[in-house]
Amino acid sequence: MIKVQNLDFWYTPESSILKGASFIVQRGEFLAIVGPNGTGKTTLLNLLSKTLMPKSGLIKIEENSIKSYSNKELAKKIAIVRQEFVPVFGFSVIETVMMARTPYYGSIGFETGTDRKIVNEALEATNTNRFASRTLGSLSAGERQCVFIARALAQNTPILLLDEPTNFLDLKNQVAIYDLLKAAQIEKDKTIIAVTHDINLASQYCDEILLLKGDGSLLHGSPKDIFSSECIKEIFGVDVFKGTIGNENFFIPIGKYTKKAH
Amino acid sequence: MKNETMKGLLTPGILARRTALAAAVLVAVMFVCSFIGSERISLKAVFYTAPDSTTVNPDHEIFVRVRLPRIILAAIVGAALACSGVTFQALLRNPLADPYILGISSGAALGATIAVLGGFDWTLWGRSPIAVFAFAGGLAAVWLVWSIGRMTGKFYITGLLLAGVVVNAFFSAIIMFLTSIAKSQQVHATIFWLMGNMVEEDFLVLWIGTGCIAGGITALFLISPQLNVLSLGEDDARSIGLNTTGIQTFAFTIAAFITAVAVSLSGLIGFVGLIVPHAIRLIFGPDHRQLFPLCAIIGAAFLVGADTVARTVVAPAQLPVGIVTAIVGGPFFLVLLIKYSRKVHWYK
Repeated sequence: MIKVQNLDFWYTPESSILKGASFIVQRGEFLAIVGPNGTGKTTLLNLLSKTLMPKSGLIKIEENSIKSYSNKELAKKIAIVRQEFVPVFGFSVIETVMMARTPYYGSIGFETGTDRKIVNEALEATNTNRFASRTLGSLSAGERQCVFIARALAQNTPILLLDEPTNFLDLKNQVAIYDLLKAAQIEKDKTIIAVTHDINLASQYCDEILLLKGDGSLLHGSPKDIFSSECIKEIFGVDVFKGTIGNENFFIPIGKYTKKAH
Repeated sequence: MKNETMKGLLTPGILARRTALAAAVLVAVMFVCSFIGSERISLKAVFYTAPDSTTVNPDHEIFVRVRLPRIILAAIVGAALACSGVTFQALLRNPLADPYILGISSGAALGATIAVLGGFDWTLWGRSPIAVFAFAGGLAAVWLVWSIGRMTGKFYITGLLLAGVVVNAFFSAIIMFLTSIAKSQQVHATIFWLMGNMVEEDFLVLWIGTGCIAGGITALFLISPQLNVLSLGEDDARSIGLNTTGIQTFAFTIAAFITAVAVSLSGLIGFVGLIVPHAIRLIFGPDHRQLFPLCAIIGAAFLVGADTVARTVVAPAQLPVGIVTAIVGGPFFLVLLIKYSRKVHWYK
């Protein structure tokens, strides 16, 4: 469980990113963080992974303040898949995924049979085992994204944070990534928090939505409660078509040159 | 299937085999090179003990007092520079980094220049003022660059590199100022020393140097899994549980120290710290757990070979070994680069 209480954060005091933010993410929950560009979605992810420190307020990971964890202890609780990455030195896929096991290495600095088994499962789950010996630089952006998700899975943590995991991906792979995350949530009881711009995929796959409004405040609730045409118009400043298929709502943004449906 | 997936991972067995192979190459190179030189000596004569112990055995004398110290010196300096190059490349996440990139070279050069111009005539633990000043100057410069770099904050790699460039340029200007007011004889002495000089050392200095460098390389080897993780970038490394600041500071200190030891022993020898790590990386892969042992051994063999060329090619005169490492190493490295880099994709 992740508990956030009265969290304040800013880069410059004049413009707050988060002001008194409080929310709880239950164990085994799939949460999407959404919001316009520049409202602090990645910042929030960095706060939850202790990459940044809050100005004030408390973040608790399983009853303990995040501050009380060493980097190594935290790496056994939280894995994160970030957006930007520039590989150097030509490490292969398998070597990169195996690096996730470093906090578990003994003093000799080599992986054990258990490490290999876990890495193998992560590669199979992400379907990256077919190019395990290739270097990261030789992969497409989408393939590389899968490798980083494999690395996060191999870290074997109860909590998984992802920053726009479906960026650069085609439709099939977007769905494949969300299927993969959903499977990890259901089968391994992982808590998953993903920053995304795709409110339709978020509505389909996520249990809860955290919407950053841009003024330091946020909305928290189920996809149905949060997403409405009015809300999207207000927060994102764009008109949308709303369609309903079965029980699900879908939103398509309307631009100046969008062909009108009616 | 599982074995197929895990193929290419470094295991202790593979590491041991490759290290043993490299060590055999080093022993062979050292053995052969100790019998090459302007003075011909024979294996039989070197180990021949005269029944009359008062007779001087010239072959034995040359071998023990001239060739052996010089070969040991080249070996430890080569090992230090290669491993320091690996470390700076890992810390700066930059394949173009070398042991001198963060100011050690200009700091050492300035120290050496001051020592020559000062005309000191004392020694410290058998070391000349040039060596002592170069050691101190190198460490002072790199400490300055590190301090400035850390102040630039989150993107400290760019800050470090820029600080290194500026400090190098600034010190070079001071060196040029000093040499322009110095006598030409002094200038020549400084330049010759800086271009890499392998003078026969007494054994005490060699053993101290060997101890420092071997200890440093062992320390770096022990943090090699962490240096692997650091290649993912600082944020990701921290999220995988690394104490990034601690590891960076430790690795940086050790690499700067063994570089300064190497510089104080033999001046500035270029290229070893760049091409040996790359050659090993291109052939065997980027895993730091094998880079340190292999680079230490192959770096040693490379410099022993280069120094043998330096002292024989224009015999009885001697070339600074830095010229040989650049002339031999440059083209060799380019061949490797063209042959392997398509396979490696390290710039993407």
